[in-house]
Amino acid sequence: MAEFSWAPRSSLEKALVAGAHGTRGIEAGISLTEIRNFDLIQVMARRGQAAELAKVAKARFGVAAPNAPKAIQTSDATLIWSGPDQFFVLSKGGKHTMQTLATSLSGPASLSDQSHARVLISISDAKARAMLAKLSSIDLHPDAFAVGAAAATSMDHTSVTLWRGGDRDGLAVFNLLVFATFAESLWHMILDSAAEYGVDIGHSKEF
Amino acid sequence: MRIVCPFCGERELGEFTYLGDAKPVRPEAGASEDEVFDYVYLRDNVAGETSEYWYHGGGCRTWLKVTRNTLTHEISSVEPAAGAGAAKVGA
Ligand SMILES: [Zn+2]
Repeated sequence: MAEFSWAPRSSLEKALVAGAHGTRGIEAGISLTEIRNFDLIQVMARRGQAAELAKVAKARFGVAAPNAPKAIQTSDATLIWSGPDQFFVLSKGGKHTMQTLATSLSGPASLSDQSHARVLISISDAKARAMLAKLSSIDLHPDAFAVGAAAATSMDHTSVTLWRGGDRDGLAVFNLLVFATFAESLWHMILDSAAEYGVDIGHSKEF
Repeated sequence: MRIVCPFCGERELGEFTYLGDAKPVRPEAGASEDEVFDYVYLRDNVAGETSEYWYHGGGCRTWLKVTRNTLTHEISSVEPAAGAGAAKVGA
């Protein structure tokens, strides 16, 4: 029988070329970083079990899970709203996996491992909002989309989960989860939209 | 046209898919052929306020019941369809 090796690899492995992209000779206005090697579990309340899920999730994470479009930071995970009575648990290092979450959450919720089903892209720097305005109809003005705001929305006809993380060097950071099979298409659209501002491309295992 | 999703807020039309008339109710088993034919095929062509199903597939993936005026495109109410968002609707 043939031996198989199932080494996980990013959907952007070929498309992502680390380094400078677009306009040169100016300071890069956009920083694009693909985050790799994360654990992502989708938690969806079973019918009529939303209140019970809220209770056990709070006991499990120490803070209430989002019940509106928000991303909530816990000590070792980010809980991101993905629709009514459902949210993502994003973490790394095996702290929140199917195995470790099932014990407390699988009574009132269905769990689904999305770790290798999504690509996570972090978008930051001075021109991040200007670039995202080309792709998204969401109002990303700081007054309308503060740190911790989230949205289930579409970019270039592709369904995405968008949320604002903590600021870096005083500048907003936008995080984007996209279905793995659509990631390369959206990636090229992001590169085209960002090119005029000068782009710094990389990947990281850190959030 | 924009639809205010009760879960996501105001969104552009491109995030939604139209299913159709929300009025027809599936007949009971054993209903007459006429009743089933009416349910499957016959629709009113309303000039005015209609009730219709829309799907927020490009967002929270919830089914919505939208009351819309076909003459003006004015939307007077948007609510989750039965069973959508178990916390908000009698599940
Ligand atoms: Zn929605």
